[in-house]
Amino acid sequence: MVAIAIIIGCILGAIIGINAPTISYTFSNYLAIAIIAALDSVFGGITSVLKGNFDIKIFITGFFGNAILSILLTWLGVKLNVDIYLAAIVVFVGRMFTNLAIIRRYYIDKWTKTGNNKDKIEYKEEH
Amino acid sequence: MKKGKKIMTITIGLMAFVLSTIIFIQFKTISSTNIVELENMREDQLTQEIVTQKSQYEETRSKYEETLAKMKEYQESMSTEKEALDVLVQEVKETNDLLGKNDVVGQGIIVTLEDTRNARISAEDLLILINLLNSGGAEAISINGQRMVYDSYIVNIGNDFIRANGNIITSPYIVKAIGNPSYLESSIAQKNIGFVDEKLSEGKSIEVEQSKEITVEKYTGDLSFEYVKEAK
Repeated sequence: MVAIAIIIGCILGAIIGINAPTISYTFSNYLAIAIIAALDSVFGGITSVLKGNFDIKIFITGFFGNAILSILLTWLGVKLNVDIYLAAIVVFVGRMFTNLAIIRRYYIDKWTKTGNNKDKIEYKEEH
Repeated sequence: MKKGKKIMTITIGLMAFVLSTIIFIQFKTISSTNIVELENMREDQLTQEIVTQKSQYEETRSKYEETLAKMKEYQESMSTEKEALDVLVQEVKETNDLLGKNDVVGQGIIVTLEDTRNARISAEDLLILINLLNSGGAEAISINGQRMVYDSYIVNIGNDFIRANGNIITSPYIVKAIGNPSYLESSIAQKNIGFVDEKLSEGKSIEVEQSKEITVEKYTGDLSFEYVKEAK
């Protein structure tokens, strides 16, 4: 059910995104950092689903909050002439890798061992 | 529980929609923007800036040396009154030439603009032309005998007349410019995008002619200051 919603959402988004007008190159920096933040939230969400403590409120607020916050920080960085967006990218992408590693381990353990071994896995939940 | 799950599904679907929309907008923006060109352009602008600054520096330096030489000349010629007078007279003549108070001759181009049935020449056309001729290195310009000097103006009077330097001028407008003829001509006659082709495409009549000897009339008005005082 959720998977279907994600697929439909992605396809609709792709169609509209392809047909939407392009934005100015100046703003594409902000959009890029927002995308990274949103992707980070998505992977954080998947990790927490695997861990079993997924909370839709935290997920939604993280998704939009992180995106908006990172845009604001990038804007502040431009004003201060400091590349703050680099810090945001390091944090978000670092967390993405951590979460991806957790997801990978979960599925490897699930497929290589039979039975319920959820308890053996250490999760570093962050989102 | 059922309702809660439904809301969650819709919310997640909506977020997937938003995320993929902005991702694809970003893809499109990046692929349609030539980033290399943007960076090169910045470099080009900076290079241009350096060249401009350098030439300005050279100009200022040469002016400074010129002034020094002139001072030396004055000092030397001051020894005899007569020589000093000659130098001053020469100086006044040169200044008047620069100001446009004397008739001058030289090689250059003559541009003739004429109203047609469909299109009238406007003051803006003449202003653009003069600007372009100056960019081509024109040293003296006149329109229908009105010399263009530092405080010259060209304005539309209603729809029917153009006033230049306080005098009404009418079609045909004969613009004479002294300078390097080929430079002057190339500054207005680029193919398709140049001034000449643009005006022709607007249905106006325009002719360009190079000449070995052109006489540009002197400025007939008053060139004195009423309000300006020298700063201390």
